[in-house]
Amino acid sequence: MTLVALGVALIVLAGLAAAALARRPAVGETLFRVLFGAGCVAGVMPALGVLAGATVPDVRLAPTTPFGPWVFGLDPLSAVFLLAVLSVGAACAFYGLAYLAHERGHRAVGAAHLLLAVLVAALAVVVVARAALPLLIAWEGMAVASYLLVVLEHDRPAVRRAGMIYVVVTHAGTLLLFTLFAIWAGGASDLSFGALAAHPPFSAGRGGIILAVALVAFGLKAGVVPFHFWLPEAHAAAPAHVSALMSGVVIKMGIYGLLRTVVLFGAPPPWWGWVVLALGACSGVLGVVWALAQHDIKRLLAFHSVENIGIILLGIGAGALGVAYGHPLIAVLGFAGAALHTLNHALFKSLLFLGAGSVIHATGTREIDRLGGLGRHMPATAATFLVGSAAIVGLPPLNGFVSEWVVYQSLLRGASAGGAVQLAGLAAVVLALIGGLALACFVKVVGVLFLGTPRHALATDPREAAPAMIRPLVGLAAACVVIGLVPIAVVPPALRVGSLVAGLPSAAAGFQADAAAGPATVFTVALALSLLVAWALYAAIGSGRRPSETATWGCGYATPTPRMAYTASSFAAPLLGVFRAVSGVRTDRTAHAFATHAIDPVLDGLLLPAWRGARTAASWLRQVRHGGLSRYLLLVGAAVVASLLYLLAAGRNP
Amino acid sequence: MSGAGLIALGILALVAPALPGIAGKTKSLLTGRRGPPVLQPYADLRKLLRKRAVYSRTTTWVFRAGPVAMLVTLVVAALLVPLDGRAAPVRFSGDLVAFAGLLALGRFALVLAGLDTGSSFEGLGASREVTIATFAEPTLFLCFIALVLATGDLSLSGMLGTPLAAAWPRAGASLSLVGISLFVLLLAENSRVPVDDPATHLELTMIHEVMVLDHGGPDLALILYGGALKLALFGVLVVSVFVPRAGFAGPAALALLFAGLGVVAVGVGVVESVMARLRLARVPQLLVGAAALALFATILQVG
Repeated sequence: MTLVALGVALIVLAGLAAAALARRPAVGETLFRVLFGAGCVAGVMPALGVLAGATVPDVRLAPTTPFGPWVFGLDPLSAVFLLAVLSVGAACAFYGLAYLAHERGHRAVGAAHLLLAVLVAALAVVVVARAALPLLIAWEGMAVASYLLVVLEHDRPAVRRAGMIYVVVTHAGTLLLFTLFAIWAGGASDLSFGALAAHPPFSAGRGGIILAVALVAFGLKAGVVPFHFWLPEAHAAAPAHVSALMSGVVIKMGIYGLLRTVVLFGAPPPWWGWVVLALGACSGVLGVVWALAQHDIKRLLAFHSVENIGIILLGIGAGALGVAYGHPLIAVLGFAGAALHTLNHALFKSLLFLGAGSVIHATGTREIDRLGGLGRHMPATAATFLVGSAAIVGLPPLNGFVSEWVVYQSLLRGASAGGAVQLAGLAAVVLALIGGLALACFVKVVGVLFLGTPRHALATDPREAAPAMIRPLVGLAAACVVIGLVPIAVVPPALRVGSLVAGLPSAAAGFQADAAAGPATVFTVALALSLLVAWALYAAIGSGRRPSETATWGCGYATPTPRMAYTASSFAAPLLGVFRAVSGVRTDRTAHAFATHAIDPVLDGLLLPAWRGARTAASWLRQVRHGGLSRYLLLVGAAVVASLLYLLAAGRNP
Repeated sequence: MSGAGLIALGILALVAPALPGIAGKTKSLLTGRRGPPVLQPYADLRKLLRKRAVYSRTTTWVFRAGPVAMLVTLVVAALLVPLDGRAAPVRFSGDLVAFAGLLALGRFALVLAGLDTGSSFEGLGASREVTIATFAEPTLFLCFIALVLATGDLSLSGMLGTPLAAAWPRAGASLSLVGISLFVLLLAENSRVPVDDPATHLELTMIHEVMVLDHGGPDLALILYGGALKLALFGVLVVSVFVPRAGFAGPAALALLFAGLGVVAVGVGVVESVMARLRLARVPQLLVGAAALALFATILQVG
């Protein structure tokens, strides 16, 4: 724990250095780089140790604040999230230095670096806190820091709107967390997690309320459908490295909260598992369908976060059902898959957001239908983005495949287990549908951004991003490849997390053989080698012959123009046609043009109209308030008469 | 890895191109034509392999990598399938997910290769291909779930191997439905009538063919061979469900498999002769219908 504390301190110090030396960016940013890197290394080491099986004693502080001692601890569940926070945090922080470099003149760049450091530090504290008070303080720090980062480009109205929605939603979530701890503790003065876990058995009603409040509070943070509406707004408005951190890690705090709730609460009742599974299925399918409809690359990626949160919830739901129906293997695999997918999604989603940032940086637009053929100009960005896309789709031999495979195993074992849990097997079919849709969506993104020809002429030829922006991408892509290649290295720690959440901390070793990570590693390595060997053979054989070059075949039409390239709208149209009932897409079709516009069914269809209705009602009430003395007297009189009538009707004397 | 399994894989790789040939010959005979010989696909491959490639100036390495990656994924996927009816060379719990993942990886590579040309034709084909695949994948999983329920095993070697033979007396009706559903998937995944027509000559009506319109020479040979291998692989799934071969000696089991593959190829030809292809908007309905069959197969076993 000392190392983690040192790491957090170094990260905050790095931020302070960058902010204090903002006038001398060369010194300040070098110091930031060194201190931040050292802080992340210091924090990652104990996390890796705990995941490998070491134990770390808790730290208890006893400040003079109410609600019991401040406890901090590092168990496998905290460790896997700490790993995601620090590795992705470092990549985003380093990328941010280069990404914001050209804005030094007209924005408070040093303050942005400080806020990012505070955000990463707060995230680290959230996952190691073992008492309600430090957790809530860090949670609030996280919310405020990420709000300020979202509105960094506050001169744009869309950014201010997104920031307002974000700050309202995140505080609603925090309020629910207060409620959660209040109901849970039931008046007890000690709110450390040890005391909360040692609660006397709850009545079914109170236990149900606790679990439901936890689901809404953490679901808001995670962006689960129907609480996702703030997410694409905020993640699209923030600068790229902030979006990467938010989509990769900050929303995962909701997942952490759910898993920690299960740890502390004990076995949840079956209905909770079914609700989580259903929410996961809805988030997964709707997230990717909505993503398919987007033309703004950052909104598209943000909706994919909704989808992946859905996949993680499928794992948590399967795990909860395994616990509820007494199938330890299903439970451990489900929670393990959820934890592993959390880490994997943090890696590839931040990779994709940073890659999108480089594209926006180079071209000045985020409309994918204006872009095309960028692979020629930005080969490194294109290659790493391709790796991230294949990983998020869940293709072997990359990391997304490994975690989805673990979740699939849990669901399929549910199908063959017998009893009510068999129904969970159908979620495997939903997961397959999500995978198919995600493939369609990322083929669209990669194809339209990096392949083919530009769809509109850009002002200048796009240039490859600076090396300082490519290095974080390469690092994240390498992590995706390594995790995908050696499931044997990551599945056992994930099982350790899974068995901790399932309440069987010592059972992890017993499930190693069932999880079959060893033979899976043979498979992934064999696949990767076959691909490399085949490509080498193909290149060697092909090098002897000189291919001839020509224009793309267009039925004899020899001079294709950019306007003839297939657009993202057209590409997604057949699938969106099938899902038109839920896709929220408005289609504009004229004789020679076809375009689709995506609206969010929850935000634009429900919440904003409700808000406008409330405002109309309020303005009517305001007329009453500004009515002058005579109207007030009339109202007072009416109120007196009404109360008298009520009392008469109730049969009592005034 | 077993030597016998690899030999079986080698034979499958050799005979795979004959399957489209058999399907084509069946169709020709049923429609009153003589048609090209059954071994015509081999001659086509030989011709294409000797040609020089022509690449569009728009394309990059992605265009060339697509066919290679597709072929590799199919070969590795074949390693997961128990060709001898007992056990595959590579098997592990949940390898059915890997099988589906490999098909997806091959599709991912080939669709991107198509989009790399920047042509509207390839964009159109790619869009249709992924739309159909989106509905094929859940159907495949429903079939697998029915097989998992029948055999209690999470690997293809178990689902299609020894435990399957024991499951037939118990769950025969359900397994027949799974087999039919897999046959529909075979038609859809391999771009056959009624989903796609390999014989069509108009780019706008094509699906798979138009996606690989710009590939020629050796690259097209890889794609055509990969297509034949994919047909063979799905054929193996169908045959394995209908004819569990665990009780036969190795050579007999293989002979049975290849005879079964021949029957499947004839079946594909018969379907192509008696049906027109469906309107594109109806294809998802066909696949959802196949999924409903597989779901029914699953429910039969739960009850």
